[in-house]
Amino acid sequence: MPPSIHPVDLITALRHKHLTPAIVFLTSRRACDEAMETFDHADLVLPPARQEAIAVALERVMTQHPSIAEHPLIPIVRRVGIAAHHAGHLPSWKIAIEELMRQGHLDAVFATTTLAAGVDFPARTVVITQSSIRKSRDFTDLTIGEVQQIAGRAGRRGKDHVGFAIVTPSPYIDLMVLTKGLTGQPEAIDSQFTISYPMVLNLLKAHPHEHIQGILAKSFAQFQLNQRAELLEQKLDALHAEMEPFGPRVCTDWITQWHTFDHARRHRHTRHQTHRSESPEISSKLPFLTPGRVVGLSRGRGIVLRQYRSKGQKNSMLTVLRPDNAVTECPVTSVKEVYDRTYDFAETPTYPWCSTETFDRLSHQLEELPPRLPVLPILVSTGIEPLPDAIVQSLGDFPCPTCSSRPACQKDFTTASRLRQEQQRHTKSIQALRTSLWHRFQERVEVLQKFGYLSPATQLTADGEWARLIRIDHSLLITELIRAEAFTGADPSLLAGVLASLAHDDDRPGAFPRISPGLSSLLGQVRKLAESLSPYEDPPLLRADVAALVERWVADPTLTWIGLCRLTTMAEGDIYRLLARTLEYLSQVQALKFTHPGLAESASHAITLIRRGVLEELP
Amino acid sequence: MNTDELEQLLAQQPVALLHRLARGRVHRHFRAGKRRLIELLLQHSSQNRAGLESDLQTLIDGQQARSDAGSSRIRRAPAIVHKKASPRGAEPDSAETAVSLSTWLEGLGVPSPQPFVPDPWQSEALSALNETDVVISVPTGSGKTYVAVEAARRAMEDNRSVIYTSPLKALSNTKYTEFSRIFGPEKVGILTGDRQENGQAPLLIMTTEILRNLLYDAASGEIDVRLDTLGLVILDESQYLADPERGVVWEETIIFCPGQARLLLLSASIGNPQDIADWLTSIRSTVCRLVRHSKRTVPLRAGYLHPNGKLTPLFRTLGIPYGHPSQLHPEAKRLFLEYEEETLPAGRPRR
Ligand SMILES: Nc1ncnc2c1ncn2[C@@H]1O[C@H](COP(=O)(O)OP(=O)(O)O)[C@@H](O)[C@H]1O
Ligand SMILES: [Mg+2]
Repeated sequence: MPPSIHPVDLITALRHKHLTPAIVFLTSRRACDEAMETFDHADLVLPPARQEAIAVALERVMTQHPSIAEHPLIPIVRRVGIAAHHAGHLPSWKIAIEELMRQGHLDAVFATTTLAAGVDFPARTVVITQSSIRKSRDFTDLTIGEVQQIAGRAGRRGKDHVGFAIVTPSPYIDLMVLTKGLTGQPEAIDSQFTISYPMVLNLLKAHPHEHIQGILAKSFAQFQLNQRAELLEQKLDALHAEMEPFGPRVCTDWITQWHTFDHARRHRHTRHQTHRSESPEISSKLPFLTPGRVVGLSRGRGIVLRQYRSKGQKNSMLTVLRPDNAVTECPVTSVKEVYDRTYDFAETPTYPWCSTETFDRLSHQLEELPPRLPVLPILVSTGIEPLPDAIVQSLGDFPCPTCSSRPACQKDFTTASRLRQEQQRHTKSIQALRTSLWHRFQERVEVLQKFGYLSPATQLTADGEWARLIRIDHSLLITELIRAEAFTGADPSLLAGVLASLAHDDDRPGAFPRISPGLSSLLGQVRKLAESLSPYEDPPLLRADVAALVERWVADPTLTWIGLCRLTTMAEGDIYRLLARTLEYLSQVQALKFTHPGLAESASHAITLIRRGVLEELP
Repeated sequence: MNTDELEQLLAQQPVALLHRLARGRVHRHFRAGKRRLIELLLQHSSQNRAGLESDLQTLIDGQQARSDAGSSRIRRAPAIVHKKASPRGAEPDSAETAVSLSTWLEGLGVPSPQPFVPDPWQSEALSALNETDVVISVPTGSGKTYVAVEAARRAMEDNRSVIYTSPLKALSNTKYTEFSRIFGPEKVGILTGDRQENGQAPLLIMTTEILRNLLYDAASGEIDVRLDTLGLVILDESQYLADPERGVVWEETIIFCPGQARLLLLSASIGNPQDIADWLTSIRSTVCRLVRHSKRTVPLRAGYLHPNGKLTPLFRTLGIPYGHPSQLHPEAKRLFLEYEEETLPAGRPRR
């Protein structure tokens, strides 16, 4: 048995059961083209009347799109009433086929599953031959949404009572994917929000920096992040309730206290090596100097906002909230007392290291502190030598061994500690969900400041003012090239060639023999710059062959479309798309007419030169 | 977290999550295998460790949240589909209860011409659009274009201009032809990056990227009369919101869409259209109306065609047994097993 049905048999069967017109979705362009070839000698010809009708309809579209007149598939389309429709074809060809399909002249169209979304014409029947599609390099199973999008083309309103989706197997098909796709509910869609450099520049052009967080909050991304955060907040509420029985005991923060005691007791053999520079007195305090803890300093008291260690600094450092909302940095050595008092704390990753609500509450609580607070007794371990059990037990400054609440703490510690950890994890996640977009925005801002598109006060610099008009992929590379005057004096064909290599992100091979020395050296420069920018922006493919192809098209106005196609192995449709993308990029450069008149002029010249022949047919 | 811990955590994640994390961080990440992806992410993390960790955490939590929500969705699903499919209970595995090929092929043909009557959902969407923004999520081929056309007609009668966007230039071109035929060529224009045809017409067609750029220009103070009189923005194929590369453009367009213009989002069936409507409600001045249904207007039947030319229904039921993917027609099941048996590479054991 053949691995899949022969195209001629397929069409015969569909015709026989009156299941035409049909769209047959195949794995690749090649499969579509090969399927078409099998009809070369098949005797499936249409009755003369229908052939005539097709010929007339074709004539009509040809007057609008002369480029299809010489298409090699036209004889088969006329004789057999079938066609291929995929990304390797010119848009005008696809428009023509769609038109013939809408008018009901064709019996079948072979299309690629990859481009199912672009197939916006219906038929009585769709034929599905695969369950996965190539996305970049991997094959991925069709989603339910995709299967239904494909099946959605079956059954024309007003022309069919019913539509048919017919599965015919080919190797590696997974029938379950298709049956699930046909019978299931489409998947929920998720935001794919990303923050690009041009987005940052355009936002900051129109809005002050302090409004941006509010604008980002309007994204669907944030809407979905909030949904998740709310789910976690519910869990957090539940945890709060569960924590109720484990509230303050003899010491308010008994969980940390017990944790330290327990740790000291169990790990006295392997008492951790602290930083050599720190005295044991200091390092034993560190676990308690957590955000929200009240501490006594040489002058007055404060609440810890964060603990950190800077490079090259001998001591651990604290950021402390002092009375009158003062925020100071001080070494841990300046902490005289650690009090048995902590406050709830919502951390943030940037200054002042806690949420505004926390900050306001803490500064209020700091003012309201009673004059005397219980001091947290902290066990200080001096030697590297393990402490004998007896000493731990008898160390007077550790309250746990003698504390009345010790048995209760011992019993509850595991549960309480787990709950608290969970609480902390959720709080952190919620924090991340609420602020991640803003952080990503800030990251971009920093890069743009570093390159001088934004001032330290996040205002657009003179360069930022024009750079915001470049709103395409690789915008940073393009604006940096312009600043480096890489295009100065470059003629339209060189400019178009380089932009083509930036715009083309397809690695489908296409050979082109020669590349001009000018373009080659310019591409070398672009490649170098792209590499140096790679920490900030993904480098483009920078294919020399597509650059050379576009350069030729622009430089030689006598070159015909057929001539251009002969220069490369790329499919017509791919060449067209390459030129169309290049036009898009050029039009962005053309927008710089006020700041870079020469360059804009060159871009506009290139646009005029590209727009000829086939590229004139469509807007 | 130190690097080892981070690496371990990354290694525990499914590769799909790693790809999401890599988006915007690692170039062409989708071409890397898991091992390589982790390497690249770690390399990247040297620049912004905190950002990476927080995003990772977000994704992990999101996945948990989704699997929580997912399980509840699955529990709910049969309740929804039962109504429609109503397969006659638990059927025995015999050919008797399965539909025959001749029945399956019956009723095929061309309906007699009917006067055009708008569907209830189409009228509902149009009247809702008088008051608010509207999100439509209906199966492909239902007739979303009719709503777009009528809404555009009404806005233009009101001397308001209309922008219609599609995700693909090819689709824009088709719509340009179609709308020019409906409204007359003088009423319709098309904008591309480097070209305008009839750029001052009351109904403008463009890709979503072009509209996004117009909105950015307007926000930074450039005067654009086309936006001043803008009464309606139609975003066709809005399910592109979920496109990994371009989805962000739909979000930008919606966020910056002028307040005085109504938004009409047309989308194929998606799982969470209510979320989209709720989102619009949360950022726009009116309460967005959702119009949705999942029933196809032209009923669908599924078949199985064996490579030897034999045709059989794919499911036991005449229509699609929604919610019951395994109700295969016994004949289709038999033929497909046979197919798998025969095409399996020699020496490979059957599952
Ligand atoms: N109320 C209706 N009655 C009959 N046919 C309709 C109705 N509304 C739309 N149609 C037809 O349905 C077909 C599909 O419509 P279209 O707008 O392309 O679907 P989609 O929802 O996929 O955009 C068109 O041929 C259209 O003329
Ligand atoms: Mg449509």
